[in-house]
Amino acid sequence: MVEVRDLKTYYDSGSLLDNRPVKAVDGVSFDIRRGETLGLVGESGCGKTTLGRTLIQLEDATDGEIFFDGTDITEIRGDQLYEWRQNAQMVFQDPDSSLNDRMTVGEIVREPLDVHEWKTPAERRERVRDLLDKVGLEAEHYYRYPHQFSGGQRQRIGIARTLALNPEFIVLDEPVSALDVSVQAEIINLLEDLQDEFDLTYLFIAHDLSVVRHICDRVAVMYLGNIMEIGPTEELFTDPANPYTHALLSAIPKPDPTASRDRITLHGTPPNPRYPPSGCPFSTRCPARIRPDGYEELDDDLWDSLNSFREILRERMRAERSIRERLRERFGMETRFATMDDTYEELFGDVAVPDEVEEILTEVADTAGDHDEAEALDRFNQAFGSVCDGVGASGVDEGVKPAFHQVSESGRLSYCHRHESEYRETADVIEARN
Amino acid sequence: MSTTQTDVDKRDSDKSFRKLLGENPRPAAVWLGVLALLLALEIGRVFAGIDTLFAVIGFVVDLFAATPAAIGGNVAGTLGPAAGAVATVVFGFALAFAVSIPVSEYVPDATVDVLGLELSRRGHRWAKRVELASALVAVAALIAYTPVGGAFSAAIAAITGSVDALSSALPSLTSRELISNTGHRTPDGGWDDTFLGLSPAVAWAIRTGLVFAYATALLAWVWRGYETYRTHYRGADWTPTDDTVRRFRSNYWGLFGFAIVFIFVVLALWAPAVSPVEAEHNIYEPNANGFEYLDENGEVQEVNHVFANLDSRSDGQNTVGLLSYDDYDRWAPLGTTNRGQDMMTHLSYGARTSLTIGMTAIGLGAFVAVVLSLLSAYYKGITDIATVMTSDTIQAVPALLLIMLVSVVFQEADHPIAQPLDGGLLLALIFAFTLWPGMWRAIRGPSLQVSEQEWVDAAKSYGQTPLRTMQKHMAPYIAGYILIYASLLIGGVIISTAALTFLGLGINPPTPEWGRLIDGGRTYVATSSWHVATVPGIAIVLVVVAFNALGDAIRDAIDPEADVDEAEAATAGGGA
Ligand code: SF4
Repeated sequence: MVEVRDLKTYYDSGSLLDNRPVKAVDGVSFDIRRGETLGLVGESGCGKTTLGRTLIQLEDATDGEIFFDGTDITEIRGDQLYEWRQNAQMVFQDPDSSLNDRMTVGEIVREPLDVHEWKTPAERRERVRDLLDKVGLEAEHYYRYPHQFSGGQRQRIGIARTLALNPEFIVLDEPVSALDVSVQAEIINLLEDLQDEFDLTYLFIAHDLSVVRHICDRVAVMYLGNIMEIGPTEELFTDPANPYTHALLSAIPKPDPTASRDRITLHGTPPNPRYPPSGCPFSTRCPARIRPDGYEELDDDLWDSLNSFREILRERMRAERSIRERLRERFGMETRFATMDDTYEELFGDVAVPDEVEEILTEVADTAGDHDEAEALDRFNQAFGSVCDGVGASGVDEGVKPAFHQVSESGRLSYCHRHESEYRETADVIEARN
Repeated sequence: MSTTQTDVDKRDSDKSFRKLLGENPRPAAVWLGVLALLLALEIGRVFAGIDTLFAVIGFVVDLFAATPAAIGGNVAGTLGPAAGAVATVVFGFALAFAVSIPVSEYVPDATVDVLGLELSRRGHRWAKRVELASALVAVAALIAYTPVGGAFSAAIAAITGSVDALSSALPSLTSRELISNTGHRTPDGGWDDTFLGLSPAVAWAIRTGLVFAYATALLAWVWRGYETYRTHYRGADWTPTDDTVRRFRSNYWGLFGFAIVFIFVVLALWAPAVSPVEAEHNIYEPNANGFEYLDENGEVQEVNHVFANLDSRSDGQNTVGLLSYDDYDRWAPLGTTNRGQDMMTHLSYGARTSLTIGMTAIGLGAFVAVVLSLLSAYYKGITDIATVMTSDTIQAVPALLLIMLVSVVFQEADHPIAQPLDGGLLLALIFAFTLWPGMWRAIRGPSLQVSEQEWVDAAKSYGQTPLRTMQKHMAPYIAGYILIYASLLIGGVIISTAALTFLGLGINPPTPEWGRLIDGGRTYVATSSWHVATVPGIAIVLVVVAFNALGDAIRDAIDPEADVDEAEAATAGGGA
């Protein structure tokens, strides 16, 4: 029903000096089948809400296509868009903010009908009462104001408004995350009932994985604007293929204490979506990152330091230094950037560095110290880079991206080099390194 | 909060205004009946009000109608007559189009369907606007360039003429014909020509008392109307406005402000009734109007106001103080001015001037501020930046300098805008121009905030038009803020007007203005004529303080947190 192809949604930074856009959604492709619930999970800031908003055209797509029953909705404008909007609606996250407090419940639920000039006003009122009934409210709530309702009830009002135009597809943007735990289940059940009754198709955005496991048929895992893995819920939860899914699932508290899976701690924070890594988006934090031949057996701590070192080099490379700072540096004064020596000391001071590694690192650090970060990075990548960092056969950063690999019978896809035949399986690697 | 009633028949829960009215028309009928009665008591003044309204509309329409031709004329002067004609048409159409945008929503769709075009929804909207604009231009052209115009202006003149005639012919409870306080003493110590032969002081007191009683009754009845609506005809048992009203009603400082503002407004609206002498006679045309008085020799004499005023000045040597008669037996409840005019008359007509200027300036400024804040908050980006730059530019110009410059230029040229209220309108327009950036700044935050609310996104998601989204989902939230700033600023406008007039820049005589009174009396403050500057001075202070109190009270009333604070304070106090 919904086919998304290479969708990109970028935000302008709004600054005049630096016009690199924020890459909220950076090229995703997936399908949503009629009648199913597709879950969309990921850490906050990974672009999942932006993706949902783009699907119902609250944001303009920067590139790519969204086919809705065969029509590319990123192309339509004006009347066509207005007509199409009836098909796709959204339930918002915060019930306090999604309802206009100055309107009665009736007016709120009626507004979509008014906008689309649905039948006569009397019939509209009648429909609103029906809808209120459907979502578990009373018809006489028509003349109440949102202030008079609890969070759960307000979310029901929002759901009634969403249903007013009889949409086929609904984006649920964390519909229960702002609610009390006790009412979350009620709303989830209501949503499931409504789906059965009206043949709805849901895109369920959430970060509560247990809810996702309960309600979704399939799940897409998102990281930094990319879908890392997408497939049937149960399969994905019991046998994750992608390293990021592993990490995400390991964070769920286990009911069964004997379960073997250890918690995987991810280092650092997700990179700035304005400057995503050139290879795999997860490469800066991946617990299963592919290491180049010959360095596989280096100590894990040393690898952590190496990864941090690369990040620092990348950061230095894009930071624009003012003339004043260059001058200060030249005269040996302190600048906002730590000197290369300090950085080096901090990262590798307390780890054992084998001689041949040390040799390369010193060379890299010296090059970087002379402000030739690009050269330093190239040198670094030649030694320690792998496909995960976008390093190609030539040994330099070519921006090589992983591909989607089918990882099960059901057609589950995972976005990772690990599924190529020459590399070991993710699970083994994580096991070994932990 | 929610009731657990379950089996409610849906039809019974239909509590739309129309249905409730149909079921129970009595309270509404009673209310309307009494309102009609109240209005009938003052029917003469109602028509006088309509008359003024017509005059204002006529003035505005004339001004707008003259603009395209004036612009065309300017263009013709530089580029030749053909270009001038084109400019006239283009500008006229643009003007008509601007007017048609907000109006077209209320025009039935059928007007476009007549054209038989296959149009998209958006095209339909634009077609309607263009159609409306063309109709407007056609009508305007017809009036301006064909004999139809003559007939049209004759018709307008007939209508305004009859309203005018009605306003003077119909009686009013508070008219000076009914309760007259102008008369002269009779040799035997009584009074002639006054109401029931009472002294002018008593007659004036009765009339003024009646004015305030009537105004209060009207206000009370309007309030009663709101309550009737609330109890009988409103579907909702509770609305957020109820809380606002309740909070306002328990704010005594705000109520004090409201009371003073109410008195000020009544003074302005009923200026002809509360002034002891007619302003036309005493202030505007003292040469042409006379009155009778009893001279020392016991004979009834006729004298012109201009001479009588000369003898009644309060200028330090001579004083006609508070609550006294002057030498010609004219009653002066607040004494006379330094030029011998009646202070009470001057004060009430001055209230009119201040109120008109204040309302015009603040109304226009607030309108511009609200429209721009909605646009800039909804569209953000370029629109916002452009508004920021424009408002900064305007705010960078020293307001006083601008006012002096513009008023001198316009008044020297005797431009039509400089004529109403002897420069008052011009002043109001300049104030509006200099004030909107400040108001826009003040409400920019709230508007940006409301534009970030999810309900605005929701409206977009089901295809609501930007215009309606701004009206329904954004404007109500900034209305409170703009009210606050409007009432805080109106005091400033009144004071600035007075100050400018005090300096001789603002409003020229004869239009009464408080600032001029203060200016006229400032040298006599230490003499027996102290009242000349003091009375209007106190009046200004009171009014400005009252508007500020009102603004503060509105701020507290629209803030739902106020309740929470009070409740918390109560519990905290109880616990201590
Ligand atoms: S491609 Fe490399 S970095 Fe990315 S998830 Fe797979 S193993 Fe990790």
